[in-house]
Amino acid sequence: MSQSNQSLANNPADPTTNVDGIDSSTTENNSMEEYYQLQKTLRIVTLCLMVIIFFPVWIFYSLNTALNYVLGASVGVVYLRMLGTDVEKLGKEKSSLGSRRLGLFALMIIVATQWQQLNVLPVFLGFLTYKAAIVVYTIQSFTSIRE
Amino acid sequence: MDPIIASASVIAAALAVGLAAIGPGIGQGNASGQAVAGIARQPEAEGKIRGTLLLTLAFMESLTIYGLVISLVLLFANPFS
Repeated sequence: MSQSNQSLANNPADPTTNVDGIDSSTTENNSMEEYYQLQKTLRIVTLCLMVIIFFPVWIFYSLNTALNYVLGASVGVVYLRMLGTDVEKLGKEKSSLGSRRLGLFALMIIVATQWQQLNVLPVFLGFLTYKAAIVVYTIQSFTSIRE
Repeated sequence: MDPIIASASVIAAALAVGLAAIGPGIGQGNASGQAVAGIARQPEAEGKIRGTLLLTLAFMESLTIYGLVISLVLLFANPFS
C-alpha cells in the first residue's frame, strides 16, 4: 500500500512509472528485446545447421534426399516462427496456443507421402533440425553461464 | 488393402495421435499458465520467461508430433498394406 503511494508520489500523472522513477514499459521493451534476440538466434542456428547437414546428405545419399531434407528444415523454421509468434501473443492478444502449426506439419507429411518425389524420413528428420538448434543454443548458453 | 488391416490402421492412427496429445497437452497448459502468472508478477522478466516458454513448448510439442507422424504414416503410407 505504502509502495503504491510512493509510486504515485513520484509521478502521479504516469501510472507506468515505478518506485525508482524508471518507466516500466521501457523495461518490458528491453526484456522483450531479449526474446526477439532468442528467436533470431534460433532461426539463424537452424539455417546454419541446415546448410551444414545438406552437403553430407548430398554426398552420402543423393541430391533428391538432400533437397527433401532442406524442404523439411524450411518447414521447421516456419514452424518455429509460428510458435514464437504464438508465445509472444500469449496472455496479451490470445489466451490459448493455436494449432495451425500442427496443421502445417500434417500438410507437409501428407504431401511427402502422396508425392512420389518426396520421402517421409528425410523430410521429417529435416523438420527436426529446429530441435538440434535448440539443443545447440542451450549448450551454448549453459557453457557461457559456467564461464 | 485387407479390410482388417485397414480398420486396424485407422484405429491405431486415432489412438496414436489421441494418446500422444494427452501428456503434452497437460504439460503445455501448465507451463503456459505458470509463465503468464510469472509475467504478471514480474513484468520486467517478460522476455526471459517467454524465451524459456518457447524452448519448453518446442520440446513438448514434438512429443505430439511423433504421434502425429505415426498416425499420418499409417493413414497415407501404410507399410502393412
